[in-house]
Amino acid sequence: MISEEQQDQAALYALGLLGAAEDAAFESELRANAELRDLVRELREAAGDVALTTPSLPPPASLKQRIMGEIAMETKRVVPMPTRQRAAFGWIPWAIAASLAVFCGLLAVDRIRLERQLADTRAVDPLMQTTFFTLAPSAPAPAEAKATVAWQPGRQSGVIRISNLPAPQPGKDYQLWAVDAEHKDPISAGVVRVDKNGVAQIRFKPVEKAAHIKAFAISLEREGGVPKKEGPILLVGTT
Amino acid sequence: MAETSTAQQMVDQEMIARIGRRDQSAFGALYDRLSGPLYSLTVKMLGDPAEAQDALQDVFLQIWSRAGTYDPEQSSVFSWAVLLTRSRVIDRLRARGRRLRVVVGSTEDQEHAGATDASTIESAADTAEKNDEPARVRYVLNNLPPEQRETIEMAFFEHLSHHEIAARLGQPLGTVKARIRRGLLKLRERLNNV
Repeated sequence: MISEEQQDQAALYALGLLGAAEDAAFESELRANAELRDLVRELREAAGDVALTTPSLPPPASLKQRIMGEIAMETKRVVPMPTRQRAAFGWIPWAIAASLAVFCGLLAVDRIRLERQLADTRAVDPLMQTTFFTLAPSAPAPAEAKATVAWQPGRQSGVIRISNLPAPQPGKDYQLWAVDAEHKDPISAGVVRVDKNGVAQIRFKPVEKAAHIKAFAISLEREGGVPKKEGPILLVGTT
Repeated sequence: MAETSTAQQMVDQEMIARIGRRDQSAFGALYDRLSGPLYSLTVKMLGDPAEAQDALQDVFLQIWSRAGTYDPEQSSVFSWAVLLTRSRVIDRLRARGRRLRVVVGSTEDQEHAGATDASTIESAADTAEKNDEPARVRYVLNNLPPEQRETIEMAFFEHLSHHEIAARLGQPLGTVKARIRRGLLKLRERLNNV
């Protein structure tokens, strides 16, 4: 039997509305109560259904390409071992075959070791894959405004830090753009919002793959951003 | 389940299992199935299509990396993905210190409201026959008692806590909790019955 209070907690838990301490306490209760677990599952399904009430909007086709591209890059390619051809003659010395097998084994082990070393190095030192861009102001931005972008091409993501850039007037937003050698127009990297001190530090991803970025720029656009740059450039910079 | 038939759930679970084995074609198929509703949710919560695309990319990369942790005992794949999406969007909003901007109006304008329970179920069943799942869910949600629907929408889309909802509506905390609980249970019950 589940009490009404437990049902209330289950509903809040399913919606992620409990605090950390309440979450932990409720999960402890869940482990001991199968009926309560069933109820939570039902409530989660109900919560999932609520998402279906939003008006349907298909994502742009380019987004799937972008995501599949990222997945493909992250996928470790497993190189199949070549099938050994059966020897034409059954009397090929076993010693030679064994030596080759051992040699191949050593190569494979060495390759795995090197791959792990490379992966470890990349994991602990993201700077290895980072390019920095310094953005300087152009009129009408204040002279003291500046920004720095740390861009990781492999991940197609970066971080921008902005300082001394006053908040735009109502109805406007700042928008970050990547200028890529392979794209005719700048690629949107999203809206960036500064705090009351004119500072922002934001992680971003351009909406399209950008393999050869030459520069980043910030423009003043309509609130919410625009798909193609319209407004004046306030900050721009190369590596 | 309301959103997905048992057969669809089995297909979803098979796709997730294959994604756990790094099967990119299964990932592409699951993307095709889920990206529409998940994108709609991110746009509604973030109010910015470009940012919604970034959020959706994060979500699908998480699905790719976390497929092995999916537990069918806890939820359907669809609900798992929805709750993961909502969580990622809330993280982004918190990280940027932004206020929630729900740009899409309440669903109340989209469907006729005020039908009786019997007519609700009857009409929803008709809709279900047309295999229009979102319309069916919208219809059922819109025919919940208004105070329950409003509370659920505030909790789900605006991620207001029960304390914040109580303060905004000027209602006792217990009343708000009960509305959320009754509303969700009623939603499940009605969707399961049509």
